[in-house]
Amino acid sequence: MNHNPQSSDGKHDDDSALSDFLASLMDYTPTIPDELVEHYLSKSGFQSPDVRLIRLVAVATQKFVAEVASDALMHCKARQAAVVKDKRDKQQKDKRLILTMDDLSKSLREYGVNVKHQEYFADSPSTGIDPASREE
Amino acid sequence: MNNGCLEQRKKEGSKSFKFGSKSDDFALAIAKVAAAQVCDSVGFQGFHLSALETLSDIIVRYIFSIGKSANLSANLGGRVEANLFDIIHGLEELGSGLGFAGASDVDRCVVNSGIVRDIIHFVGDADFVPFAYDVPRFPVVKELKEIGSFREKGEDPPGEHIPSWLPAFPVPETYATRSSVENEPMSVSIGKETESVLASVERKTKRSLLNLQLRIANNEYEGGSLHGVENASRAREDFEGNPYLAAPLHSGEKDVEVSPVVLPAKLSNEVTLRNSVPGNAIVGNNETFASAIDAMKSGLCDSNNGKKKLLSTQRPTLRFKIGIRKKSLGTVPDFNPRNEDLEKDDKKRRVETILKESIQSS
Repeated sequence: MNHNPQSSDGKHDDDSALSDFLASLMDYTPTIPDELVEHYLSKSGFQSPDVRLIRLVAVATQKFVAEVASDALMHCKARQAAVVKDKRDKQQKDKRLILTMDDLSKSLREYGVNVKHQEYFADSPSTGIDPASREE
Repeated sequence: MNNGCLEQRKKEGSKSFKFGSKSDDFALAIAKVAAAQVCDSVGFQGFHLSALETLSDIIVRYIFSIGKSANLSANLGGRVEANLFDIIHGLEELGSGLGFAGASDVDRCVVNSGIVRDIIHFVGDADFVPFAYDVPRFPVVKELKEIGSFREKGEDPPGEHIPSWLPAFPVPETYATRSSVENEPMSVSIGKETESVLASVERKTKRSLLNLQLRIANNEYEGGSLHGVENASRAREDFEGNPYLAAPLHSGEKDVEVSPVVLPAKLSNEVTLRNSVPGNAIVGNNETFASAIDAMKSGLCDSNNGKKKLLSTQRPTLRFKIGIRKKSLGTVPDFNPRNEDLEKDDKKRRVETILKESIQSS
């Protein structure tokens, strides 16, 4: 293959970049604590003495959760904008950005996680339904 | 991470690993705080609790499935400990549902993975919020405190047959008292160690021996069944004097005593069998009572004619054992458990009661 020398050069760059990144992980303190990651990794059968790997998993998890959350935030903002269009008088009340199951399940569906609403029983059909917070 | 994969993971989770189990409460609480912090950093101002719980559950499952696939690829490579490339493999596997840069490239290098580049960008862009609390290492594993062998303690084992490398016995007081009730020979052998223990054990063995005598006597009288209430009432009767001279039995009482005979042959056989089992076990030691019991059995198995015969055979045995039973029954109150703490006066009282009885009987 003629691109071999090229890719080997690129590999050297990637190698150094990756090792630099791993070294920089030692200075970071991810939001997800090492102990939690270590606990669940060991529960899954994973074992490694390297702390950097645990940090890497922590960072990857945090990235995943942050992406899901930011998607949910987008959904939340979009829904609020749609509601505000319909009813302007409720504008002040609904301005707070709140993470709800509706938005979360929508954003999680994009990542391949199907989340269903928990079914519940109510004494009257209108219980728990806030017409302002529902699109449908 | 398509739907089929998720279902499989869910099934595995419910079978082999329970995320919602009690032992995981602490870890799930930590995950919840972390999820809340991430939401806060993203820009949310509040959250519903159910959404936060879902998110924390997803954190936990994400970590778990990365570890699982990394461990799988490490084992596939013949290694026990996973390395960086195993983790990248796991990340690519989990990210394959959404897709990443360079995923279509067949001979791509793991080092140059699009996922890792994304993570590097993420780390470079985002400002990290450290976790709000100091998390101790968990789960806490308690170290077992060993007792230590005889050799480590510097003691000699109580018997020659016990090698010195075996764990040492606990303090004898912890088990000697309990065993003395059930197992007399053992407590006697242990009691040699201290004089006070020896004395108490002797007293207890004496008491249990007396109890045994009492029980044998009662068994013989009752034909194998042990009924404390009946024994007491009969004892009172015996104290009054010779049963032949006493007032005749009431009809009801007689019925109660004789009723097994009236039953059909099959049932009465069962009754006698049931009654004779414990009786034989104890009376076997004492041959003097065997004949009386045999007589009773034959009497019980007989037909109506045997009813009178039964009474006649029963009464002599009742009468002949009066002497023994009176003495032993008279001492019963001394051996009640509530008197156990008054063991100092035990002997004196026993002598007194025996004297009283002898006076009464004479």
